[in-house]
Amino acid sequence: MAAFFDSIQQNFSTFFTQFPVVFQALNVGFLQTLKLFFATLLGALPLGLLISFGSMSKAKVVNKITRVFVWIVRGSPLMLQLLIIYYFPGLVWHKPIWGGGEDGRFLAATVAFIINYACYFSEIFRGGIQSIPIGQYEAGQVLGLTKTQTFFRVVLLQVIKRIVPPMSNEIITLVKDTSLARIIALQEIIWAGQAFMKGSHGISGAIWPMFFTMVYYLFASGILTVLLGKLEKKLSYFKV
Amino acid sequence: MNKKLIALLLAAIMVVACFALAACGDKPAEDPTNASDDPAAASDLAYIQSKGKLVVGITDFAPMDYKEEGSEDWVGFDADLAKAFAKTLGVDVEFTEIDWDNKILELDGKSIDCVWNGMTITDEVKASMDVSDPYCKNAQVIVVPADKAEQYQTAEACKELQFAVEAGSAGAEVAEENGFSVTEVKDQATALQEVAAGTSDAAIIDLLMAGAMIGEGTGFSNLAYTASLNSEEYGVGFRKGSDLVTYFNTFFASEIKLGNVDKIAAQYGIAADAIIK
Repeated sequence: MAAFFDSIQQNFSTFFTQFPVVFQALNVGFLQTLKLFFATLLGALPLGLLISFGSMSKAKVVNKITRVFVWIVRGSPLMLQLLIIYYFPGLVWHKPIWGGGEDGRFLAATVAFIINYACYFSEIFRGGIQSIPIGQYEAGQVLGLTKTQTFFRVVLLQVIKRIVPPMSNEIITLVKDTSLARIIALQEIIWAGQAFMKGSHGISGAIWPMFFTMVYYLFASGILTVLLGKLEKKLSYFKV
Repeated sequence: MNKKLIALLLAAIMVVACFALAACGDKPAEDPTNASDDPAAASDLAYIQSKGKLVVGITDFAPMDYKEEGSEDWVGFDADLAKAFAKTLGVDVEFTEIDWDNKILELDGKSIDCVWNGMTITDEVKASMDVSDPYCKNAQVIVVPADKAEQYQTAEACKELQFAVEAGSAGAEVAEENGFSVTEVKDQATALQEVAAGTSDAAIIDLLMAGAMIGEGTGFSNLAYTASLNSEEYGVGFRKGSDLVTYFNTFFASEIKLGNVDKIAAQYGIAADAIIK
C-alpha cells in the first residue's frame, strides 16, 4: 500500500517538474493552431461565397466546373489534399515552391485548408441563398432595385441569420481539423504534445502532454460556441 | 446533354490525374527535359549552391539533433557536423523538423536536401535514398556495475543475470532473442537506475546512450558497458543520384583526419569507438 502511494507521489512530482516545460511548448504549438484557424477563416469565407455563386451560375460550363471542383475537394480526404499541395510541386515539377521551412509549411497548409473549407462553406451559402423566397427578388425589382442591390440590401442579412447554426458546426470542426496539418510537419499543438513521447526538451516517454492538448481544444471551441451563440441571439431580433 | 458534359469532365480529370501520377514516378535526375535546360537538375550540388542553403531534415533526437534548454539553435553531433558540411559547400544550413515517416517524400519533393538524424541504414532506406558511408555505429550493449565488468565481457557469461530493459525497445528485442530473463521498465534511464540500485543485475541500452550516460564523470560513474548484442550503422541520406554523397564522404574522412569528429563526439558524449573511421 505504501509503495502504491509512493508511486502516486512520484508521478505527481514528475508531473509538476515537467509541467512548465510542456506548457510552454504547447503554447507555441497552439499559437500555430490558432494562426492556421484564423487564416483559413479569413480566406475561406470570401472564397466560399465566390464558389457558391459559381455553383448557382446560369452559365452551364461555370456551373458544372464549379460543382465538379466542389465534388473533388469535398469528396477526398483533407489529409491527402495537404500532402498533394505540399509535396506535388517538388515531386512532379521539381520545383519545391513552398520551401522546407516552417513558414512554407504553414503557407501550404493554409492554402489547402482555405480551398477545402471554402468548398464546404459554399454549399452552406448556396443553401442559405436559395432558401430565400424568389418573391423578395421580385419585390425588389418592383421597387426599382437592381439584382445586386436586392442581394446585398435585402437578402444577405437573412442568409447570414439562417446559416449561423450550420456555419458554427463547420467552424468548430475547423478548430480540430487543424491537427491534420501535422502530416506535412507543421508544428501545431498535437505535434508539440507528441514530441514529448519520443523525447524533446529533455523530457521523453511522457504521454500526458498529448492528451493535455484536449484542454486547449475544449477552451477554443468553448469560446467559439459562446461567441457564435451570441451572434445568433443578436440576429434574432427579426424573423424570417 | 448534361450527362455527356459530366462524362467529358470526368474523362478530362482522369487524364490529368494519370499524367500527374505518372510524372510522380519520374526520378528528377533521369528527367531528360530537365537535365538539358537546367544544370541544377543534373547536379544536386549545383542546385543547392544556386539556392544558397542546405536544408537538413531532422527530428528532435538527442544527442544527434536537439535544442538546449531555452535556446532556439539546433545542436548535437549530427547538427554540428551538418553546419560544418554546409560551410565546406559554401552555403547556409537550415534545419527543418520532419515527420520521420515522410522522409522519402520530403527528400524527393525537395523540401529537404538530406536526412541527417542518426538514421539507421536499412534495406528500405537504401532502396529509396543514396546513403553515405556509415559514419557512426550503434549497438545494444550490456551494462553492469563497473567492479563486475571483468567477468561479464560476453553475452554467454551474462546468461544467468536478471536484466532491466526499456519496454518495447530494441534492447528488449535482443534480450528476448538471447533468452535473457528481463524486467521491463519505462525508459533506458530507469534501466540504468535499476542496475545502479542493485535491483537488476544488468541492463541493455544502446551504445550512444551508454556513451553519454555512464562511466566516469556522469551520473552513473560506477557502471560500465561490456558486450554488444547486435550492431547497426548510421548514415546520411541524400536524393537518388545525388552527387552530394561523394562530397559528404570526402568531407567526413577529412574531418576525421583533422580530429574534429572526435572533438564533437566527446562534446556530446558519444563513445569514441562508435565513430566509424
